[in-house]
Amino acid sequence: MEMERKSTQTTEYPKKESKTGKRTKPPLSPQNKNSKGKKQMIAGKILSIRDISRLFCIVVISFCAVFVCTLFLNYNTDLKSIGIQVMQSDVQNFYNAQVMTGKIVSILSGGCLLSTSAVMLCFYIGHYVDTHAKMLGILKAMGYPNLKIAKGFAGFGLCVFVGTAAGYAMAHSIMPLFYRTQNADGLLPEISIHFHPALSACLILLPTLAFCLLSVLYGYFRLKTPVLDLLKGEASKKIKIPKDKKSRNNIKKLRTIKNTAGLPFLQEQKKSILRQKKSLVFFIGFASFCYASMMQMSFGMEELASRMMALMIFLIGFTLSFVMLFLATTSTVKSNWKTLALMRAFGYSDKECSNSILSGYRLPAYVGFAIGTVYQYTLLKIAVTVIFAEIENVPEFHFDIPAFLITLVSFAALYQLILYIYARKIKQMSIREVMMGEE
Amino acid sequence: MIKIEDIHKSYGLADNCNKVLKGISLTIKNGDFLVILGASGSGKSTLLHVMSGLEYPDQGKILYDGTDIAALNDAERTKFRKEKIAFIFQQYYLLPHLNVENNVKMGADLAKNQNYITAIEAVGLSEKRFRYPHELSGGEQQRVAIARALAKKPDVLFLDEPTGALDETTGRQVLDYISKLQKELNFTIIMVTHNANIADMAQSVIHMNSGTIVKLWQNDTKKTAYEIGW
Ligand SMILES: Nc1ncnc2c1ncn2[C@@H]1O[C@H](COP(=O)(O)OP(=O)(O)O)[C@@H](O)[C@H]1O
Ligand SMILES: [Mg+2]
Repeated sequence: MEMERKSTQTTEYPKKESKTGKRTKPPLSPQNKNSKGKKQMIAGKILSIRDISRLFCIVVISFCAVFVCTLFLNYNTDLKSIGIQVMQSDVQNFYNAQVMTGKIVSILSGGCLLSTSAVMLCFYIGHYVDTHAKMLGILKAMGYPNLKIAKGFAGFGLCVFVGTAAGYAMAHSIMPLFYRTQNADGLLPEISIHFHPALSACLILLPTLAFCLLSVLYGYFRLKTPVLDLLKGEASKKIKIPKDKKSRNNIKKLRTIKNTAGLPFLQEQKKSILRQKKSLVFFIGFASFCYASMMQMSFGMEELASRMMALMIFLIGFTLSFVMLFLATTSTVKSNWKTLALMRAFGYSDKECSNSILSGYRLPAYVGFAIGTVYQYTLLKIAVTVIFAEIENVPEFHFDIPAFLITLVSFAALYQLILYIYARKIKQMSIREVMMGEE
Repeated sequence: MIKIEDIHKSYGLADNCNKVLKGISLTIKNGDFLVILGASGSGKSTLLHVMSGLEYPDQGKILYDGTDIAALNDAERTKFRKEKIAFIFQQYYLLPHLNVENNVKMGADLAKNQNYITAIEAVGLSEKRFRYPHELSGGEQQRVAIARALAKKPDVLFLDEPTGALDETTGRQVLDYISKLQKELNFTIIMVTHNANIADMAQSVIHMNSGTIVKLWQNDTKKTAYEIGW
């Protein structure tokens, strides 16, 4: 299938060149003659529906980000408009606290989610360039400038629009409910919902534009790879080996002097998997960071703010980290599928296979978890001292050990579950099909 | 001894069912060198995969010293493959991120073979054992695959077109390594090829055509890799 797609594309490139480029080349095949070379041509050809559908996760995450931000920022803006009325009264503190929490939550979850989707986007583009290296190499070889090809990547960023727009709409649809719960005690005067055009521009259009720009820039950066490396395809490019001869010779010397056997195969395999894709190590660390911080924060939020907020943070944190963990592991397993098939053929068990590929990430995952725990504690501690300083009767904020334990155990279970799912998948793979696939 | 009884295998369901193996029976002695000949699509690879326990047959028995591997569950088959067999493929399938030594270790560790360096020496690659697969030529890569398979100390070595991607000179060299090592270690070889000349190296030859064995013969004298035609 992949081959078919590539070959149709290569025959179609000349259309564009003959229309827009100065150097006209004879079309490779007759059906090219009556084509209309348009700007979108490259974009349309470079990004297939399937590629874009892979961006679904990014859409979902940007949806969550805009959803949360819209709720809180819209509320805050409306709240500010009644600010004058509450100036003198003793609900001042409550008012201040709400404004502050609104800001913190939107900056925190909005920022966290958006940066996650930005990381994911770069990840996807990197992956795309890797898997379509040949085709992009041909484009480059034919003389398309990097920027022109990279412009096609804007489509990746555009899909964020779907998420932001939907998130915005969704937020508005449940806004009445949100306003009611925020002011459940009736401490503040009635707040009516207003539509703020500036806010919608900021929340819908700005992220979309930023993501398009990011896609083009990152794509441009990735396309700087020399043409020949692209043409050779992913296989030769992805192999990360100690670059300089010196360090390799050192290993050699060390090994010959000591005459040690080195690590067993499964360990070596684990190490090389981690070396292959450093971005995944970061990704998995980040996922566990999100999990640890957001889950534990949601416990704290229930006490400090409202149950609704707690639930929201909980759901977002869980979905986000689950999706990220799952994507990262899927990508690792997929890119090593052949290796796994071979190991299975030779008689490694499914558990050994999935462990050799995935258990190396355990350390980064728990490091991320630890950082996330410290991060949320520090953040809440600061929030409590700053926001609720003037309010009396606010419970002293302590490190919540039960919440920590629950989060830790559930995280360990989640990780184990993912390992198990892949062990099952590996068990069910048809070794023969994987092996025959390439011919 | 491997005894195969009436193997059937088909792909697809009902209407467009593709019968690939149509009742294959065969006996292979220990230490035999069997070559499976046949045109492309005649079911050679399928037979190899079924015999080696990568695939289940639809029907029939595959007896290794009396044990029917077609009746084993997945874990048992994995154990069987671990203990008994090794593979060499046309596309080498080395692990690209690991150097020669670690690639060979993949096979060696399964047999708890500490002495994997010997296997690398046996294929003449000890100088290059810290290289990575993409730094080696096709013939060298296939020799690594041989070292990897033999470090596993298999009873049966399965080869699917091992010289299919190699030129004549390196092809002969690879075959020479294989047959020499067989004499030394005395494992069974089952090799698929569509190069009929290679059959002259074998002890037993079967010729397949659309899922059946059409011809089966024994060679009285085996030729070396440098005596056969190409
Ligand atoms: N997974 C599969 N699904 C459907 N048909 C298959 C599958 N694998 C192989 N075949 C068919 O089985 C036949 C024999 O394949 P194979 O054993 O690979 O032949 P050979 O190795 O002799 O060239 C071919 O016609 C092929 O199309
Ligand atoms: Mg074949």
